[in-house]
Amino acid sequence: MTRERFIDLVRTEQEPLRRFLLGLCSGNQSMADDLAQDALVRAYVASGSFLGLSKFSTWLFRIAYNCFIDQYRKASLDTVSDESLEAQTTLSDDSTDDSFRYQQLYMALDKIPEKERAAIVLHYFEDRDIKEIASIMQIPSGTVKYLLSVGRNHLKEQLSV
Amino acid sequence: MNKKDNIEEFLRDNKPVVKNDPTFLLETNRRLKNVEGIKAEVDRQRVHGSMALIVTLVIGIVIGAFAVLVGYICPFNLEDLGESSFAGIILFITTWKQYFFILLAALSVSLALLISRTRHAGM
Repeated sequence: MTRERFIDLVRTEQEPLRRFLLGLCSGNQSMADDLAQDALVRAYVASGSFLGLSKFSTWLFRIAYNCFIDQYRKASLDTVSDESLEAQTTLSDDSTDDSFRYQQLYMALDKIPEKERAAIVLHYFEDRDIKEIASIMQIPSGTVKYLLSVGRNHLKEQLSV
Repeated sequence: MNKKDNIEEFLRDNKPVVKNDPTFLLETNRRLKNVEGIKAEVDRQRVHGSMALIVTLVIGIVIGAFAVLVGYICPFNLEDLGESSFAGIILFITTWKQYFFILLAALSVSLALLISRTRHAGM
């Protein structure tokens, strides 16, 4: 796949991809964008192995999710939390209703396990169905349903909705 | 409306908004160009490694052929050398020449492989 063709494909996917990673990084925009760039480089290097068996976006999201998991494992939990809090502080400077709402949401997302967060973000922010989430996270559909259910409960506790 | 609906509604109403950032694609393009540069360099080094291997093999064959040719054209009389240690070495090599040259060839190929691998590892 040529670079131009790849960039063309990415053009339509960049917004959902960055939103997905923004959710996973609990609102840390710079971290999310860095991960998105890493994911795109990895995808480009591996583009020869993309056989078209799944949608391009599913394949791209799977790579992005793996990038996030790698990063999550590498960084200590403290560092991730610190960066997230930093991002939330930046958001709170905006002092609008929207930013406050997002701040609450990101804080809640940051407190739930990363697999639940990924399932929630993919299902509710990206409108992906169970089968597609299973394909992205490389887990069985039943586990996705379980993660969504447990994740919702954990978020409810955090957000008191 | 139950609690599940509440949280689902809350999540769907609060999708994070990501602005379409043209600089993001420019940065992606820049990184991909760098990757292409690295890939080209890797390919170039691989070709160099293969060339070094082939050149080493060809040189080995040429030198071997030349040595055999010299042996036939200028026959060597061991008795002329007398009883010196040099004569002893030559006699040893002459007696075990098949094994000696096999060992030498194996060492040359190993060295060539080692050199080409070290180049790749050092990149």
